[in-house]
Order: sequence, then C-alpha cells, then structure tokens
Amino acid sequence: MKEKNVNIEHLFGKLKKETPFRVPENYFETFADRLNVRIQEEKNSYYKRSLFIYFKPMMAVAAILVLSMLLIYIPITKLLPSDSGNIVQNRSEKNVNDSVSGIPAALISNFSEEQLLAAFSASNDLDSKTLTADNLAVYIADNYSSYEILTDN
Amino acid sequence: MDLNEKELIANLKSEASREQAFQLLVKMYQQRLYWHIRKIVMNHDDTDDILQNVFIKVWKNIESFREDSSLFTWLFRIATNESLSHLQKQKRHSLVSINEIGDYLSESLESDVYFEGDEIQRKFQLAILQLPNKQRIVFNMKYFDEMKYEEISLVLKTSVGALKASYHFAVKKIEEFLKEDPK
Repeated sequence: MKEKNVNIEHLFGKLKKETPFRVPENYFETFADRLNVRIQEEKNSYYKRSLFIYFKPMMAVAAILVLSMLLIYIPITKLLPSDSGNIVQNRSEKNVNDSVSGIPAALISNFSEEQLLAAFSASNDLDSKTLTADNLAVYIADNYSSYEILTDN
Repeated sequence: MDLNEKELIANLKSEASREQAFQLLVKMYQQRLYWHIRKIVMNHDDTDDILQNVFIKVWKNIESFREDSSLFTWLFRIATNESLSHLQKQKRHSLVSINEIGDYLSESLESDVYFEGDEIQRKFQLAILQLPNKQRIVFNMKYFDEMKYEEISLVLKTSVGALKASYHFAVKKIEEFLKEDPK
C-alpha cells in the first residue's frame, strides 16, 4: 500500500504541467480577424437597436392612433346603416322621379320627330293647346309598348 | 500596474487610439485567456465563443473600467465569470445536476479531438474534472498557470486563506481519485 502511494505521489509530481490540449491550426493567428468580424456585427446590431429605440415612441403613438381609428371606425360602420347604400337607393329614386308619368325621360328622347308628329296628328284627344311634355309622355305610354319604343328607333 | 499597462488602458479609453490598442490587448492576452477558459469548459468551440464574448465585453466596457485592479485581473475575472455562466447554462439546457457537471465535462474530454495527452494526462484531467467548479479553477490557476495566491485572490475575490485550503483539498481529492482508480 505504501509503495502504491509513493507511486501515485511520484506520478502526480512528475505530471507535465503543459496542457494536453491543442487548438486548430492557425487558431491564434486568425483569432483577431474573427473577433473583428464579431465586433462589427455587434456594432451594426447596436446601431439598428439604437434606431429602433429612437423610433420606438413614435411607432407606438402611430400604432395607438391606427388602433383607435380601427376601434372607432369599425363599430360605427357596422352599427350604423350604410351611407353608400342610401346613395345608390336615392339615385335610383331620382331616376324614377325624373320620368314623366312613369316613363323615364331618357326613353322620350329615343323617339324621332316623325314618330312624335305622327302621334300628335293621330291623336284626337290631344291638341296643340294641351301639348305639354307630360301629356306627350302619357300618350306615348298609353299607345306604345316599351318594345316598340326601344326597337323603332 | 506598470507604465505600459497604464498607457495601454489610456489608449483603450481614447476613441482615437482604441482600435489599435485593442488589437494589442488581444494579441497580449488571447492565449492566456484561452487556456484559462479551456481548462474550465474543456471544449474548444465553447472556449472560442467565450473568449470572443470576453473581448467583446472588454470592448464595450473599457470606458467604465475603474482601474481598481490590473487589466490582467479584470480580464481573468470576466473570463472566469463567463466560463462559469456557460457551465450554468449547459446545466440548465441539458438538465444536468451540479454533481453531474464533472461527468458531462469528462464525456466532453473523452470525445475531444483536440486532446493530445497521453493516458496519464487523460487520467489526471479526469481526476481534476471530479472537483467542484470553483475548486477546479483554483487548482488550475495554481498548478498549471503557477499564479500566486494573491493574484488568484484578486481574480476570484476570495481570501488567500480560503484559496490555500481549497487548493489543499483539491490536491487531496485528486490523489484519492488516482489511488482509487489507478488504471
């Protein structure tokens, strides 16, 4: 036992103090260059972070404004009747109102002069004194079908 | 702190001369710091990462270096702390218990392609890896780096008495390990 201890102490005392590890070839020669690359990366990310930190309050305010607009605008448009629907409806009503005695004014303009004169002369109950746009439209509506009005022109 | 070191620190703190002074600092300390870290974490790739982190920390914080200690002490302290943090992270990520860190590092040593020691040196390293981390660092700094207790005391912020005791126990444990498993 004593001899074994002596051997261990001998072994421990004689152990080489040089490290038994090695490094890849040219490791220390290239270390500074690799470190510089890392430092440049760190610098770039630092500037990016700095810009982000600088603009962060402005971005936050913009985001809050957009969010508030959305929170207000969407419920309002959902809850209230649609304005655009009203406009379309009003426009169609206006077209109807523009008609004379139920005939759209646009249709009257489709008649030729001959048609209008023929209608005028053939009519017994329509004289020059009572010839108004309304009367003429009523007459045409009574005597011509929509098909005739549209195809004869 | 000698005159050269004071000059180097002054150059590092000056923006105009920082780049050049930093290159010099890297050249001066890269090897010593590398081996200090390597003996703690064993693996070359991890050592490389930690060493880069150490120098990046130095680059970022050199202006706030108060010069209470020497540059060497400051660098070694950063390197030691970074290495211990790395081991802590390893422990968290791989769910290795504190007692198993030695086994984990032993496995790392066994598979290390950059280990070129003979059988006795391998056995000796395995014995060192059985020590608790801080005791292992004290042993390495005293035995391999041949640092004075006073220097180690400044780096590890531990009293000289505690360091002597730590080294003494480390030697005993290594001897015991070699006695128990002398194969």
